[in-house]
Amino acid sequence: MIMFDRRLIKNFGWLILFLSLLFSAFGLINLYSASYHTGLGSFKKQLIWVSLGFITMLIITFMNSNLLKRYSMHIFIISLITLVIVFIFGKEVSGSRSWIVFGPISIQPSEFVKLSLILIIARFYSNDFEDGPFGLKDIIKPIIFTIMIFSLIILQPDLGTALIIILLSGTMLLFMGIKRKSLLIIFGIIVLISIPAWNFFLKDYHKERILTFADPTVDPLGMGYNSIQSQIAVGSGKLIGKGYLAGTQSQLRFIPAQQTDFAFSVLAEEWGFLGSAIMLLIYFLLILTILDTASSSKDKFSMLVALGIAALFFWHTLINIGMVLGLLPIIGVPLYLFSYGGSSVLTAFIAIGIVLGIKMRQTLVPKEDISLEKNN
Amino acid sequence: MPQYKNKLFICSLIIGSLFLLLVLRLFYLQILKGDEFELFSIENRIRVINSPAPRGKIFDRNNKKIVVNRPSFDLKVFPNELKDIDKVSELLADLINIEKTEIKQSITSAKKKSIYLPFILIKDIDRDTLAAIESNKPDLSGITIEVNYLRDYPEGKLGSLLVGYLGKPNKKDLKRFQLTNLDINVGKTGIEETFEDDLRGANGINYKIIDALGRQVKSKLFQKDIENKETLSGNDIHLAIDIDLQRKSEQLLRNKRGSITVANVNTGEVLAMASSPSFDPVLFVNGIQQSDWNELTNNKYYPMLNRSTKGTYAPGSTFKIVTALAALKENIIDEESTVYCPGHYKVGNKRFNCWKHTGHGWVNLESAISQSCDVYFYNISEELGIDRISKYAKIFGFGSGTGIELSEKDGLVPSRSWKYKQFKEPWYKGETIVTSIGQGFLNVTPLQITMMTAAVANGGNILKPILIKRISDLDGKNTMVSSSEIISILPFDETQIKIIQNSLISAVNEKAGTGKRAKVKHGTVAGKTGTAQVISTKTKSKKDIYKDHAWFTAYYPAENPEIALTVLIENGGSGGSVAAPLAKDIIDLYFEQKNGVIQNDNV
Repeated sequence: MIMFDRRLIKNFGWLILFLSLLFSAFGLINLYSASYHTGLGSFKKQLIWVSLGFITMLIITFMNSNLLKRYSMHIFIISLITLVIVFIFGKEVSGSRSWIVFGPISIQPSEFVKLSLILIIARFYSNDFEDGPFGLKDIIKPIIFTIMIFSLIILQPDLGTALIIILLSGTMLLFMGIKRKSLLIIFGIIVLISIPAWNFFLKDYHKERILTFADPTVDPLGMGYNSIQSQIAVGSGKLIGKGYLAGTQSQLRFIPAQQTDFAFSVLAEEWGFLGSAIMLLIYFLLILTILDTASSSKDKFSMLVALGIAALFFWHTLINIGMVLGLLPIIGVPLYLFSYGGSSVLTAFIAIGIVLGIKMRQTLVPKEDISLEKNN
Repeated sequence: MPQYKNKLFICSLIIGSLFLLLVLRLFYLQILKGDEFELFSIENRIRVINSPAPRGKIFDRNNKKIVVNRPSFDLKVFPNELKDIDKVSELLADLINIEKTEIKQSITSAKKKSIYLPFILIKDIDRDTLAAIESNKPDLSGITIEVNYLRDYPEGKLGSLLVGYLGKPNKKDLKRFQLTNLDINVGKTGIEETFEDDLRGANGINYKIIDALGRQVKSKLFQKDIENKETLSGNDIHLAIDIDLQRKSEQLLRNKRGSITVANVNTGEVLAMASSPSFDPVLFVNGIQQSDWNELTNNKYYPMLNRSTKGTYAPGSTFKIVTALAALKENIIDEESTVYCPGHYKVGNKRFNCWKHTGHGWVNLESAISQSCDVYFYNISEELGIDRISKYAKIFGFGSGTGIELSEKDGLVPSRSWKYKQFKEPWYKGETIVTSIGQGFLNVTPLQITMMTAAVANGGNILKPILIKRISDLDGKNTMVSSSEIISILPFDETQIKIIQNSLISAVNEKAGTGKRAKVKHGTVAGKTGTAQVISTKTKSKKDIYKDHAWFTAYYPAENPEIALTVLIENGGSGGSVAAPLAKDIIDLYFEQKNGVIQNDNV
């Protein structure tokens, strides 16, 4: 199963590893500050999760992507079953039934499901299709996969993850090409479904979140309060920040969910524009290296998986930071490798592990390729 | 997979530009708007606790309390710390007996203005409510009790027109007193207004660092950037007023309209200044009700008017002191000059009556003053003329303010030029005649008359009336001590003043004197009555408001004068019968006080 080969080490994605470890190290340093006045509980837990994630990443790295391809359908079916189990037996936290609890550990399966969606879509395209653009009929399968997962997640309801699912699948499908007519039809259907969905499926607090987004000062202590406090934290950091452990907004806990979804506000307050812009740069470089891996990968499946993972990181970052900076409504989307949360840390490290595996196997020396075939 | 290179490159560009957008937003928030957000973050965590300064107290000359303070427990709301407005309103409604919807509405409307600006929901709650709120404190985050100070009047209405009342500052007050805190009350009238800056003190400010839940943060974190301000109590004012004389004066004026003013003839200190009707200052303590305010301001007897300084009246015969001294100085008459009074005086074909229609017969200056013969003064006024009358009246301080520490009226001394300016008419002889006995256009305040009498008593010094003896700070150290001030020295010889003094003694002590009802057993009073005709339109009416104003001004003891006093009763009738007896009561009390007779007449 796991192959140890010196050639693999030669192509190892040291930069990807370095950037992701750097980013999660900063995440930990930041979380130390964010949980400083609440006993560092989440910092310690996160330390364990990051270590676990790192080990998992290494194991995944040495797994051949062919293996992932072969088992992607199995993984997908397991994902669906898990989501059904969550829906029935899951624990409800602040209105959403998204968690499975094993003793002291809570797992959020919808995090891992994102990866299984990337794999199944990649596998779909890697088979025997020619290059796009594709018509609606050609891509009905990945659309159905997406809808299945989306529906199970929206039922929890977890608006943020559901949105990510749509964006992920949308990115991959668009990347492979969709006929203009089919695209219009898809958009039409989405709009037609959205209207009754707004009226019947969205809960009031979701509607409020979207509505107060337009002007958070309308209801400063209501839903807009979080957005205002986050922007105050970010803005008051100014150029160089208030200093580590000295952010008034974070240390006095004016920032909501400052260890999870709003962890970046703490960073922006304490490290200022310099610190936060550098963080964004590191993250951008990480996504670029993943895209680079995609472009140099050995097959279509690997390329699409890497692209999907780049999209996963990108959309999470855009939505999370956009929310922190008051550009987007508040929907619970963590910043990968930075926010507190075991499931998201593990998911991010598994994703990095997959990318590292792809990178490692990007170009096998042709001669040996042949000899390998001969041996077979 | 090289065939996807271009597509992946486009992806990188899209991703890159969206990251750039995030960085631009960071730049906007942190660099362009950084200072603004910094202020927000300071407001967020700092709770300003006002510790209001107690306003200075007001005492009488013997340190007896006239105006003091009492604590008021006010319910203060910090909107940004309220978590559940609905719950808090409901709990408060139970505790303070106000409708829940009303509480909720005032909270939401205040929140709309600014969520960081605390405001007072209810003032002056009682002790039981206070206890109830304290015991429910855990459920009332964002609500605190602030102790403010309210005025308290242990003597009730006593001196209300003198000390004045407090009210919310208007725009003019804000500028004049350079106020920064709009939550306080400032003096609107009287001593409270004049000495606002001394009385007010400075509110202390305590900053407390709080966390998002409104709890005070105990750690040293962020303490370095705050600086507390200590409370500075207002300074106490010690009036020259003697509370017993003041109380007596007000009692004497009960059910009358008028004023009693008592001053020390040597220092100018005002010992009593009563005016009636007056108002109850308690009405203003918690902000006056509109209906009470309307009642006070629409009352036709002006209970808000301090008649001693702001009531202007024709001086009537009290003005004869001025005419007589002017005539002596101008050598028109001397002590011996006599005039025959047939009861009337004719100028051309116009007839001017003496108050005594049967006539006084032959009168000299002394009997003319003591019996208040009008014809004597009609005679001298023709030669004296309006220009000189007006000149001497002004020397006595009429027609301009006395300089007392209250707002006051100037009164009016008529002259040719004034009349021409006012009416475009020349001065008529008949007008000189009525002016000489204090009628016509002449207008004076009771305080001006008092200072005139004091000047006659002290040998010719017009003094500045003094209401405030001293101002002291919290430690009892004086920040201001008043000193006597001579405004002008009358240009008369000692003998001339002596003649008038003797005439005033006769007016009270001679059998025929008009002021004999002010005569006391324990000493000699010198005084002058006055009965001022109310100048009204030709309406013939028996109504009270057309009755004469009764004047009596006096000093005591005549041999070695100490006090001067003036009684004025609006529409009271004749000065001798109405005003003089009141002056006697004041003088009696003054004598008793001085000689240690215990005064038990307080009730």
